[in-house]
Amino acid sequence: MAGTQLEILKGITLEIKSGESVAIVGASGSGKSTLLGLLAGLDEASGGHVEIDGVNISALDEDGRARFRADNIGFVFQSFQLLPALTALENVMLPLELNGHAGARAMAEQYLQRVELGSRLQHYPRQMSGGEQQRVAIARAFASRPAILFADEPTGNLDTRTGAHVVDLLFELNREEGTTLILVTHDLSLAARCARRVQLEAGALVETQACP
Amino acid sequence: MTATRMLARDWRGGELGVLIMALVLAVGLVSGISAFTTRLQAALEQESHRFLAADLVVSGPRELPAQWLTEAGAFGLASAQTLMFPSMVHAGDDAMSLVSVRAVSDGYPLRGELTVSPDAFGEPQVARRGPQRGEVWLDSRLFPLLDITIGDSVFVGEAEFRVSAAARTEPDQASSFYGYGPRLLMHYADIPATGVVQPGSRVEYRQLYAGDTATLTDFVSRLEPRLADGQRVMTVEEGQPGVGDALDRAESFLLLAGSLAVVLAGVAVALAARRFSKRHMDYVAILKSLGATQGRIDRLYGSSLLMLGLLATVAGCALGWSLQAMFFQLFAGQLPLDPGPSGLRPYLIGGATSLVCLLSFAWPPLRRLGQTSPLRVLRRDMPLENRRTLTDYLVGLAAVAALMWWYSGDWRLTLAVLSGLALTVALGLVLALSLLRGGRLVGMSAGSIWRLALAGLQRRGAANALQVVIFAMAIMLLLMLVLVRTSLIDEWQMQLPDDVPNHFMLNVAPEDVDAIAAALQAENIRSEPLFPMVRGRIMSVNGVDLPSTDDPTVERRQRESNFTWSDTLPDGNELLQGQWWQADSDEKLVSLEEGYAEYLEVEVGDRMGFLVGAQPLEVTVSSIRRLDWQSMQPNFFLVFPPRTLAGYPGTFMTSFHLDPQNKGFLNRFIREFPTVTVVEMDVVIEQIRSIISQVSGAIELVLGVILAAGALVLIAGVQASVDARMHESAILRALGARRQLVLGGLLIEFATLGLFAGLLAVAGAELSVLVLQTQAMDMRYVPSPWMWPLGIGFAVLVIGALGVYSCRAVVSTPPVTVLREL
Repeated sequence: MAGTQLEILKGITLEIKSGESVAIVGASGSGKSTLLGLLAGLDEASGGHVEIDGVNISALDEDGRARFRADNIGFVFQSFQLLPALTALENVMLPLELNGHAGARAMAEQYLQRVELGSRLQHYPRQMSGGEQQRVAIARAFASRPAILFADEPTGNLDTRTGAHVVDLLFELNREEGTTLILVTHDLSLAARCARRVQLEAGALVETQACP
Repeated sequence: MTATRMLARDWRGGELGVLIMALVLAVGLVSGISAFTTRLQAALEQESHRFLAADLVVSGPRELPAQWLTEAGAFGLASAQTLMFPSMVHAGDDAMSLVSVRAVSDGYPLRGELTVSPDAFGEPQVARRGPQRGEVWLDSRLFPLLDITIGDSVFVGEAEFRVSAAARTEPDQASSFYGYGPRLLMHYADIPATGVVQPGSRVEYRQLYAGDTATLTDFVSRLEPRLADGQRVMTVEEGQPGVGDALDRAESFLLLAGSLAVVLAGVAVALAARRFSKRHMDYVAILKSLGATQGRIDRLYGSSLLMLGLLATVAGCALGWSLQAMFFQLFAGQLPLDPGPSGLRPYLIGGATSLVCLLSFAWPPLRRLGQTSPLRVLRRDMPLENRRTLTDYLVGLAAVAALMWWYSGDWRLTLAVLSGLALTVALGLVLALSLLRGGRLVGMSAGSIWRLALAGLQRRGAANALQVVIFAMAIMLLLMLVLVRTSLIDEWQMQLPDDVPNHFMLNVAPEDVDAIAAALQAENIRSEPLFPMVRGRIMSVNGVDLPSTDDPTVERRQRESNFTWSDTLPDGNELLQGQWWQADSDEKLVSLEEGYAEYLEVEVGDRMGFLVGAQPLEVTVSSIRRLDWQSMQPNFFLVFPPRTLAGYPGTFMTSFHLDPQNKGFLNRFIREFPTVTVVEMDVVIEQIRSIISQVSGAIELVLGVILAAGALVLIAGVQASVDARMHESAILRALGARRQLVLGGLLIEFATLGLFAGLLAVAGAELSVLVLQTQAMDMRYVPSPWMWPLGIGFAVLVIGALGVYSCRAVVSTPPVTVLREL
């Protein structure tokens, strides 16, 4: 690789409206995750910019972006990313505590009940199935009331049935909370549940279409 | 989120276990060993005070001011007086003997114990006080010699005394010049009645004091300016130089052991913190994706660390306290000593160790956690940026050096350890470079066990080199400690072998020499040769008369000395300057002991004038010698060529070993050769031996604890590298590799690491011991070739076995399970 510059994303212009649900689809290595990282302010682009709600997050430094994430953004990851040393309840409380939220515990309990885990509050991730872990992750994502929710292959590590249940919960909560949802997947049926679909191929945007 | 909450959660999740354990152990070991050493030192000092029968002694050739005793009382010090002088004891009409009299006041002894027996050779018992007025206690040997029993009367000078017991041992038997001949104890207040002590008599007055150290120091500082000619303050070292030396070296050893505990602790904490921070990278990435800023993460981990440090310090000090209490419990049977207080210093040192370990070893990797990219939540395969920089190592090294220096208070000791560590690390760097730059094997090379193992070594070159250095450091420190301990104990045993001469024989008339040699041989008693001895007085140096005074504080004065002659350099003497004379030399020469030459400010080639038996003798200094004062053999300051002295009247002396059950021989011997003076050193030698065996026991115990700590570091070091190896091995298993291939490859890989570590460790240990023994402990350095195969073999075996043991799960568990758990 030495000496050659690798261009991962090229010339992408994408506008997403508040409350919209958008699926970014594409094959492995097409640049989906990189685009998600940039949109969510987890990564810095070598060129171009990302603006959210009037804020140019590409111009912020890492700390600025962290604060922005704390206030505006929630995540659901393919590999759940729960902290193994924390119980389900504590995992959900984590972002609330980071924001200094007063009623963190009550709020976390409420969201865990909404993902049907009200009886598993004190269980550790290792004591839960993949589907349950992902539901904890969804509760954590919504508990901080983000304006935008990013989901990275949320069903990638789950079997079809469990995955379907998790996705139902995700969309249900999304609707109730009125969150903007940006979802990366290569699962076309999952993508079909979003209002809009964006297709990436070798780092370039090839197709944008509204779902029926 | 607060740090407390994070800590509590981490603790529950088992993430903190290793780090806390390393810290608690570090603090516990350092404070425990330090407290143990401090208390043992205090105890041994107490024990050595037995040699003085007090904490402090003031002596003088004339009566000492009673005022001082009154002042001591006002200070709250206990005091007593003794007076020693040679005299004759008479029983009946013609039975008499030369004795060394010791008159003691009430309260004597202030330290140690007197033992007596109700008949001459009966079972010794502890006596709580000295003889009553009008009574004397006699040396056992005097009973058959004077043909008396308990209850009989004897005369000392003009006073008559009743013999009430046999005197067996006094604590300060050894510290007196008057330790010649059989002993007689009497009450101090009875002296005037005897009429034997007159102005000008050869006597030694002593005032004995005991109390707490601070008061004594204060008292001495008031006393010292008021000391008159000939009066002096005696310390333990003067009372017993052999013991002082042994204690000094033992102290160095214990301090060394403690310093090594500091280094080991640092390494253990560094290893644990590395693992902790590695495992926390995902944690930090998630926190960051959830919006935590770097400053926040820094504060979070900083305050966690601080709290962790506090907790570990408290727990560690408790552990340290229990450790030293346990040591003394274990020792209770062997140590008839009262361990002194340890004070707070050991625990302060423990706390400082914890702080330094945290700041210099744990904080750098944790601080860099804040720089973890939040992108890790999307891409777990992102490279770890948590590499240690050179600065970290330098900071760590400087911290350890400072801590060791503070702990031992001895820069030479610190330097010795650091030089070995530096050599180990330097060799480790060379190894790392050659591993990384050497001919590269491609990929996993899974075709054969050997190629697999070697490829593994290369693939993780940097990590392996670091691991080798860590193993090597731990093994080096252990080897070093074992080496020093072995040479220390060997040296002590060499100085005091079981058959060391424990009696001296003086005043042997030339005509008795053959008969005495025959008498010793008949009883199978091992003795040194009989040395001729002429008494003379040094008068002048290079023609200038020395001052004539009896004040012992004036070094350069006319004084009496014992001379001997020999045509060869005496055994155990070392020639420092000049040359030894030819046998049968007619030249007027003399060879001097180095300290003696120093007092008199004399060098090779100077002329010295003597008075021997009223005849003047002028000689030239031909050589300067060093003596081994701990050898228990007759030693002479001045040695002349035989022809120079042969014409003067003289006597002979020797030393010999007598077993306790043969003590009766002395009575027969003294009856046969009444003019011979026998100095009994056996009690003193037994005392020295008992102290040394206690110190040796302490050294073994501390060595054991440090070995255990070293083993823990090795285990932690292996554990730290297990994850990566398990991962690769599980993939190999998944692809169908046989059990033998996987385990064999791991065994060879770890054993090779052990081989390198062993080599580095032995080289480092050899250098450290060289510096330590020659610079810090004043011992002779002897290379230890046996250490090379032993140290390297140990490293290969232990690290190979530990490595395979730690990774064994990879062949007994389905690969998927292994991969999922990593």
